Amino acid sequence: MNTNAHVKYRIGKSRGFQGLILTLAFACVIPLLAILVYIIKAGITKINWKFFVNVPKPVGEAGGGIANALLGSFIIIVVASIIAIPIGVLCGIYLSENRKSKLAYWTRLCVDILQGVPSIVVGIVAYFWMVKPLGGFSALSGSVALAIMMLPIVIRSTEETLKLLPDTLREAAYALGMPFHRVILKVIVPCGMSGILSGVMLSVARIAGETAPLLFTAFGNPYLSANITKPMQSLPLLIFNYATSPYNDWHDLAWGASCVLLIFVLVLNISTKLITRKWKVQL
Amino acid sequence: MESTIIRSIDYNAYFGDNHVVKNVNIEIPKNSVVAVMGPSGCGKTTFLRGINRMHELIPGATAKGKIMLNNEDVMEMHPIFVRLKIGMVFQRPNPFPNLSIYDNVIAGYKLNGIKLPKAEKDRIVEHSLTRVALWKEVKDSLTKKGSFLSGGQQQRLCIARAVAMEPEVLLFDEPTSALDPISTSTVEELFHELKKNYSLIIVTHNMQQAARVSDKTAFFYMGELVEYDETKQMFTNPTDIRTQNYITGRFS
Amino acid sequence: MTQLENEITSLKSEVISMWNLVELQLQKAKTAIVQFDRDLAREIVLKEKRVNAFELKIDRDCENIFALYCPVAIDLRFLLAVLKINNNLERVGDIAEGIAKYIIESETVFDKHVYDVTELLRMFDDSISILVDARTAFENEDTVLARSLFKRDEILDNINKQAIDRVSGCIKENMEVMKDSLYIMSIIRKLERVGDQSKNIAEEIIFFVEAKVLKHQKGA
Repeated sequence: MNTNAHVKYRIGKSRGFQGLILTLAFACVIPLLAILVYIIKAGITKINWKFFVNVPKPVGEAGGGIANALLGSFIIIVVASIIAIPIGVLCGIYLSENRKSKLAYWTRLCVDILQGVPSIVVGIVAYFWMVKPLGGFSALSGSVALAIMMLPIVIRSTEETLKLLPDTLREAAYALGMPFHRVILKVIVPCGMSGILSGVMLSVARIAGETAPLLFTAFGNPYLSANITKPMQSLPLLIFNYATSPYNDWHDLAWGASCVLLIFVLVLNISTKLITRKWKVQL
Repeated sequence: MESTIIRSIDYNAYFGDNHVVKNVNIEIPKNSVVAVMGPSGCGKTTFLRGINRMHELIPGATAKGKIMLNNEDVMEMHPIFVRLKIGMVFQRPNPFPNLSIYDNVIAGYKLNGIKLPKAEKDRIVEHSLTRVALWKEVKDSLTKKGSFLSGGQQQRLCIARAVAMEPEVLLFDEPTSALDPISTSTVEELFHELKKNYSLIIVTHNMQQAARVSDKTAFFYMGELVEYDETKQMFTNPTDIRTQNYITGRFS
Repeated sequence: MTQLENEITSLKSEVISMWNLVELQLQKAKTAIVQFDRDLAREIVLKEKRVNAFELKIDRDCENIFALYCPVAIDLRFLLAVLKINNNLERVGDIAEGIAKYIIESETVFDKHVYDVTELLRMFDDSISILVDARTAFENEDTVLARSLFKRDEILDNINKQAIDRVSGCIKENMEVMKDSLYIMSIIRKLERVGDQSKNIAEEIIFFVEAKVLKHQKGA
């Protein structure tokens, strides 16, 4: 019965529901804002030029910095990317081009499972694969561990991006007499570049803050080092070690490093969004 | 005496075990427009795609028989060589969205890694766009992306892209079914011009279009070539009762 | 120009060619009577085959255009008009042939006095001029000119009506001209039908240009 009162009740219910959704949406934003505000407030005062350029000093001496962690994070991430991106993108291309084959089915399954493997387990696996045979901790083994974590994200986003490209694009390329590798490299990948790029950047943002895999692979290093066959410091490791230490100087370093890491990840996420929008190809 | 450019001899096509094109024997004359019509699922598109070896790109698709392009068997040649001589235009206009109009026209060369001097590239672009009556409309915006054109213009751009490769035969797979009526008639006018230099085969589900544009018409039904004749004859007095039923709309 | 426009243009020029041929047949018939040229008359009979061939070709061309292009509006009306005009012109051709056959059958020259009295030559001139004007109206899609033809047909009707009395008068005066008079009577009847055919053509022209149907209207 559609009486006036009943209709008013339904309108009111609808408005209430909309209000509830809005409230809950904002509720999700609050933790993020809280973290940002707290960390930046705590860490920004510790950051100065010396902070970026110096290595940590022994306890008691002032003026330590996180230079070794910055360099270390950079090197480990770059090496991990060099390992993961080619493999991941090519695998993603394979999966998007072969939707129905058996190998593709099992590969997809494995990738999904890999995504769910806990990061500490990946670290332990890398320990047994790389650290033990090579006889020592090294940045390389840390990169391998992180690369394993990057792979599922890169593969999945590449595959999803390329799957979204219409078949007519491939057909047009084939009809012009292009061989398979050119269809992929000159047509499909360029058109899907924004999606692939965003997948890569998101995977980097993900591993930038991973601590557990590096615990028994890169291990950490108080000195500035660029040797990937030796242990290396990284931002998350430094934060972990120094925050749990009993020294105030080191606590300060940890706050500063947290702030730097947070800002880095934030900037990476935002620029991913901007770049994808700019590069997105109008189909 | 008409010369034949494409002759199919006992051509059969399958999707797995599904026999979709059955023993087609047809001769396409040079510099003419041949329309291929028939109800949905009759095998006409499959046959068309078989001619430039696009059929086998679908997983599980196979084909038997011969298709002679002049004196060479297309089924024996490497597909890439076939597609350089036989171009194709698809139902939905599909210019490469990341390339400019200029680059789209010479995409067949550029993306295949064939290097040409700039003067030659300019000539090809102007020539191809003129052939499809698009040059005047876009000559001042050649660097813009192809996806900003209207549907009819995009389709003509795709035809220019195919024409730029100087093929002998042009295949059209329902080229105007995604276009509005004005763009459709612009593209249909093109066919009369294009047949002076190329041989055209057009698959269409619109029989009025087949009547308007073609010199000869082939009628496919359930995978078989039922009738193939001069268009005038086909539409005034077809030989086979199935053809007559289809044309007069008595098909169930 | 689209393909359909091309086809219609060439159909139009075919109809005009047939028209020219038929007009020429009538002109020759008139000349053949005045000069009593039997050979010219035989030529007219031979050329009638060409008139028939035109009729068949125009019918076939119309059929093809209908089948291939599904014309609508003015194009549809044009084709329907052409089909009928085609028939009308073919009948005028038959009339010219019939007149020519009379000349061939007749053993003697027609008596000049009879055809002066009956205004035979004037009837020829008028009927040919109506046919020619109908052609002009068709070519230029001129419905004003087409409408003027209705009145002019009445002149032919008048001459036809007066012919019986005039011919009887001639026969009473001179029994020798009986045969000639009968031939001339038939020729006048035939020429009156040329006027009727031209009137029908004018109706078709008005139909295709204005989509107005004037057939079977009183006073049209």
